[in-house]
Amino acid sequence: MTAPITTVAMPVTITINGEARDLAVAPFRTLLDVLRNEAGLTGTKKGCDVGDCGACTVLLDGEPVNACLVLAVEVDGRAVTTIEGIAPEPDRLHPLQESFMALGASQCGFCTPGIIVMAKALLDRNPDPTEDEIRFGLAGNICRCTGYTKIVEAIRATARQMAAAGQPRE
Amino acid sequence: MTSVIGKSVKRTDTLGKVTGGAVYAGDVVLPGMLFGRMKRSTVAHARIASIDVSKALALPGVKAILTHADVPRVLHYGSPHPRSASVTQDQYILDTKVRYWGEGVAAVAATSEEIAELACELITVDYEPLPAVFTVDEALAPAAPKIHDVGPGGNLVLDPFLIKRGDVEKGFAEAELIIEGEYGMGRPTPAYMEPNVCLCQWDPLGKLTIWTSTQSPFMVRGTLAEVLGLPLNKVRVLVDHMGGGFGAKQDLFQHEFLCALLAQRTRRPVRMEFTRKETFLGGRTRHPGTIWLRQGFKRDGTITAREAKIVFNSGAYGSHGPGVTAVATASLTSLYRCENVRLEGRCVYTNTPIAGAFRGYGVVQSYYALDIQMDEVAETLGIDPAELKLKNAVREGDIAPSNHPLTGHGLEDCIRRGIMETGWATRRARGRAPQTGRLKRGWGMGCEMHGSSAYPGIKEQGNAVVRMNEDGSVTLLTGTTGLGTGAHTALAQITAEELGVRFEDVAVVHGDTDVVPWDIGAFASHTTFMAGRACQMAAAQVKAKVLARAADKLEVSAADLEVQDSVITVRGVPGMRLTVREAIAAERGIPAPQLLGEGSYHPTKAYSFGAHFVEVEVDTETGQVSVLQVVPVHEIGKVIHPIAAAGQIEGGIQQGIGHTLSEDYVIDPKDGRSLNASFVDYKMPLAMDMPPIRTIILETAPSDGGPFGAKGVGEDPIIAIGPAIANAIHDAIGVRFRHYPITPEQILAALAEKAGEQAA
Repeated sequence: MTAPITTVAMPVTITINGEARDLAVAPFRTLLDVLRNEAGLTGTKKGCDVGDCGACTVLLDGEPVNACLVLAVEVDGRAVTTIEGIAPEPDRLHPLQESFMALGASQCGFCTPGIIVMAKALLDRNPDPTEDEIRFGLAGNICRCTGYTKIVEAIRATARQMAAAGQPRE
Repeated sequence: MTSVIGKSVKRTDTLGKVTGGAVYAGDVVLPGMLFGRMKRSTVAHARIASIDVSKALALPGVKAILTHADVPRVLHYGSPHPRSASVTQDQYILDTKVRYWGEGVAAVAATSEEIAELACELITVDYEPLPAVFTVDEALAPAAPKIHDVGPGGNLVLDPFLIKRGDVEKGFAEAELIIEGEYGMGRPTPAYMEPNVCLCQWDPLGKLTIWTSTQSPFMVRGTLAEVLGLPLNKVRVLVDHMGGGFGAKQDLFQHEFLCALLAQRTRRPVRMEFTRKETFLGGRTRHPGTIWLRQGFKRDGTITAREAKIVFNSGAYGSHGPGVTAVATASLTSLYRCENVRLEGRCVYTNTPIAGAFRGYGVVQSYYALDIQMDEVAETLGIDPAELKLKNAVREGDIAPSNHPLTGHGLEDCIRRGIMETGWATRRARGRAPQTGRLKRGWGMGCEMHGSSAYPGIKEQGNAVVRMNEDGSVTLLTGTTGLGTGAHTALAQITAEELGVRFEDVAVVHGDTDVVPWDIGAFASHTTFMAGRACQMAAAQVKAKVLARAADKLEVSAADLEVQDSVITVRGVPGMRLTVREAIAAERGIPAPQLLGEGSYHPTKAYSFGAHFVEVEVDTETGQVSVLQVVPVHEIGKVIHPIAAAGQIEGGIQQGIGHTLSEDYVIDPKDGRSLNASFVDYKMPLAMDMPPIRTIILETAPSDGGPFGAKGVGEDPIIAIGPAIANAIHDAIGVRFRHYPITPEQILAALAEKAGEQAA
């Protein structure tokens, strides 16, 4: 007889989009599932759950990770930024978000949160990426709708726009 | 005067997508929700002798298990189009047989996904294996096992589909060159990013609500109601955003029935979500198959006869097999003029995953064969392939595959523009210096045309309800789904334009079968064309009512009124004006009027056209083919939203490059097992693989049938890219490939063979 699955929840504190959240999570739960189910942040998408598609990309202490490949218990005491935390203020979008809308870089939208988060990580490191650098930066993010043309355009446009405005990237 | 048609306004659906606020079916959570999961077959063809669920039922947290003994046994349509000739009626929710590796045999609802998964492992199924067939040849062999009791027999999904025009014998007798060949197609899958998912809940009065990722909510409603024995007003289908479908999410899948039944059994909401692997196993693919094609030509390139035999592999169920076969077969009557044709399409059951609807719907396959053969002929006759295609391109008045005369010269315009844009003549092998070195470049081109509706396979109907609210704002109710194309924005643009209000004054309500007008589903490149026209009709009715009221207030004739940007003016009377809001406003003690318009449009057919020009680079040491640039030229009538239209084209090219060079869902020929059901093993072109695309859109052959002359664009771009690449590879290395995908191994083998021939 197979033993029933026992769930011993472990307390963790994760700073999600700037807010410290005390959560009780099963040790086998991924950060992705905890974000979507426990934290109620469903903007981060599950496209494959095995690290192949990048739809669940979030920033962990500023670095992009596939949230499906990180256990929530590993993130105790660390900071996570999701698509819901990308906008600098509630009523002001991040320039990437504006460009993605204006230039048609989002179609079905399922890959969009992960790609915007990845693009933010890219621009944080490299404010003026070449087209090749953008494409390399998105190597782990699958988009099946756009052919990437307008995604690359939107990221380049954002970089130019932010450079022109001299805006701090947050 | 400003017009919102042809402007890339900010899409109404994307704010939620870039902020994470957009709600997809898998984002919805209900109190007390359980998690459903399917047990899937581990054999390709078998009778189920018994299923033991006792251990699984004993697992704490398991709330219900369903097997074939527990579900209604109703033979239903695989894809729930309304009794059309496009689809088959050959499925049960769960049958006593399994017909492919990965088919669902039982379903579990439990308090967590992990428990549901473990419970599936604890279910034991005793299979009595049946002989299985994995290829069309095996399935058509005289002693082949019979996969279905329904259908014409001999493992055929439908009786052979035949088209004859003119006199083929005479045409071949007149030919000065006859060329024939067999062309083979692999098994690409749509690989939409959002795995199939649904959530079901029953209310105390016995009404089912299902949130599901579908392109066809009213078809889901109809088939669920039929199979579950419910009136249509007891099934409510909700779909807000969906993460792609590309045609495949027209089908009703096993989990949608099972989720509803598990929710009914447990009296709790149940969510069933496919894993990525299940999306391959239980999803739908493009039809693999072969096309034998024979054509006769005059020396000047005139086509005298065309004969083709198409054989598609439908997999274990018919799904869209009849529709795809019919459309593929009919498509070979056209693109390049030919008066004498004899075409036959067949579709065959095998014990492999189900082929269904997928962007391009049979035409991807047929024009791959046709356009490569045109290149072969051009080479033999010493004519430039673009010139040969231009010479034979269908034109105004020619009879289209739908039996309608074509409007305009769209294909000709696309080819001419592409020749000019690319400097075609100097690009090809004949016009350039020989290449030495390991990397060889080449240019190729391919053409396509595709209909903007499913007519005549389905006599479709697009509907819209437009309501003006008492403040002058407008609510558009549409049954179309938002796959991600931006169609709802286009519908709002059309409504605003026709009604004379600002785009931002139109709000779109969609995604609830209890509320919106009936819709057949978002497919066949028809949403903007067909539903858009219905919006235009509905908006025109509302406009007439508004102007009638304004005429009363201004004491002029309504015929003299114009409305633009929500302001009504009187022709020839400068200064006399009224806002729409003022015209319809409530007055003291008198409510504002009910202003409702209802459009219902029954389209026939319009065709869009395209020619793709492609440069490839072949690495003769590794066999790797890189697509260096694509210049797609499309003629799609009046463009409503240029950025969204271009996005369709660029995305279609991405999928087409994948089909042609790397994507193939592989089934083990020994046991029918899926060999590459993941995004790592099923290789799609990603950011680094995608070339620059210089999209050119022409509006030279608008359709009277579409709103403001618009035609469809969704499927067109996936069709021409394939033959363009194959033809470019030939231009680069002089090797002709007549199948897809063309893999590096095959390139190397072909180059080795060619080198051997030259040495000998």
